Amino acid sequence: MLNIGTVGLSAMGLVLTVAVFVAAKRIYTRVPLLFLSPLLVVPAALVLILSTTGVTYGEYLVGAKWISHLLGPATVAFAIPIYKNLPLLRKYALEIGLSAVLGSATALLSSVLPALWLHLSPETATSLAPRSVTTPVAMDISRSIGGVPTMTAVFVIVTALVGVMAGPAVIRWLQIRTPVARGALFGTGAHAAGTARAFEFGDVEGTVASLSMIAAAGATLVLTPVLWPLIGG
Amino acid sequence: MSAFKKLYKIVAQIAILTAVSWFGTYLTGRFGWPVPGNIVGMLFMVLLLQTRVIRLEWVETGGSWLLGNMLLFFVPAAVGIIQYQQLMVTSGGRILLVIVLSTVAVMVCTGVVVDRLARVRERGGSGNA
Repeated sequence: MLNIGTVGLSAMGLVLTVAVFVAAKRIYTRVPLLFLSPLLVVPAALVLILSTTGVTYGEYLVGAKWISHLLGPATVAFAIPIYKNLPLLRKYALEIGLSAVLGSATALLSSVLPALWLHLSPETATSLAPRSVTTPVAMDISRSIGGVPTMTAVFVIVTALVGVMAGPAVIRWLQIRTPVARGALFGTGAHAAGTARAFEFGDVEGTVASLSMIAAAGATLVLTPVLWPLIGG
Repeated sequence: MSAFKKLYKIVAQIAILTAVSWFGTYLTGRFGWPVPGNIVGMLFMVLLLQTRVIRLEWVETGGSWLLGNMLLFFVPAAVGIIQYQQLMVTSGGRILLVIVLSTVAVMVCTGVVVDRLARVRERGGSGNA
C-alpha cells in the first residue's frame, strides 16, 4: 500500500471511524431497521474497509485509540443521571441490588459452562465470562481472569445487539408489567444499549436500567473473583 | 457563533469529566484497588455533585453529549474482531449460541424476580396506607 506517513496514519483511523459512524447514524435515523443498527454496521464496514485496503488493526488504532479514550469521561458522565435520580435509586435500591447480584451470577455461569460444554477454547470461555457488563469494566475483568480484552469487547457488543432484540420479546412472553422490572432486565442484561432501549419504554424504565447497568458492573467486579475458582477457571 | 460556543462548552465540560476520570485511575493505581479507575471516578463524581463542589450545569451538556454518542467509543474495540477471523470461522456459531442463551437467561431471571418483588412491595405499601 502507499506510504501515507505518520501524520496521515494518525488521522486515518480517527477520521474514518467518525465518518462511517456519522453516515451510519444518518441512515439508521431514516431507515430504523434492526440490522442497520450502527452498533452492527459501523464495525462491519470498518472491518471490510481495513481488510480490502490492507491496513492492519495496529495501524488503524494509531488514530482510533483517541476515540476509545473518551470511554473514561463517558463512564464518569453516568454520575449525572445517577445524581439526578438519587430518590429513584433509594426507592428501588432493593430491586436494583437483587437484580445486579442475580443477573451477574447468571451471566457468568450461563456464559462459561455452555462455552465449555460446546468445546470452545478455555481462552474463549474466559473472554465470554464478563460479557454482560459495560465495555470498560468487562475488559478490565477479562484481563484480570486471563481472558483476551479485545475479544471480550466484541462479545460485549454482540450481547448488546442480542439484548436489544430479546428484551422486548422476554417482556411480552413473560408479561413483565412493572416498569422497575423492565428497566432492571434491560440494564442488567444488555448494559448501555439496553438502557437506551429501555428509555423507549419510559423514563422510569430507562433510569432504572442505567442504575442497574452500573450495579451489575459492580456486582460482576465483586462476584467474578469469588465464583471463578468454583467453575474451574 | 452559537454553534461554536456550544462546541466550546462541550469540549470544556468533557475536560472536567476527563480530569475526574484520570483522578480515579490515579487513585486505583496508587493504592492498588482492584476496580477500574473510571468507576471510581464515576462514584467520586456523584460525591462532587452531591456536595456541590461541581455544579450540575458545569458538566451536564458535555455529559449528555458523551452518553448520547457512547456507541462511537466502542467502535475501535469492536473492530478488533478483525484479529480473530480464524476463530469466528471455526467457533463463531457456537459463540453466538452461548451469547443468545446467556443473555435471555439473564433477562428472564432478573425480569421475573424483580417483577414479583416489585408487585409484593407495592401491595405491601398500599396495604399499610
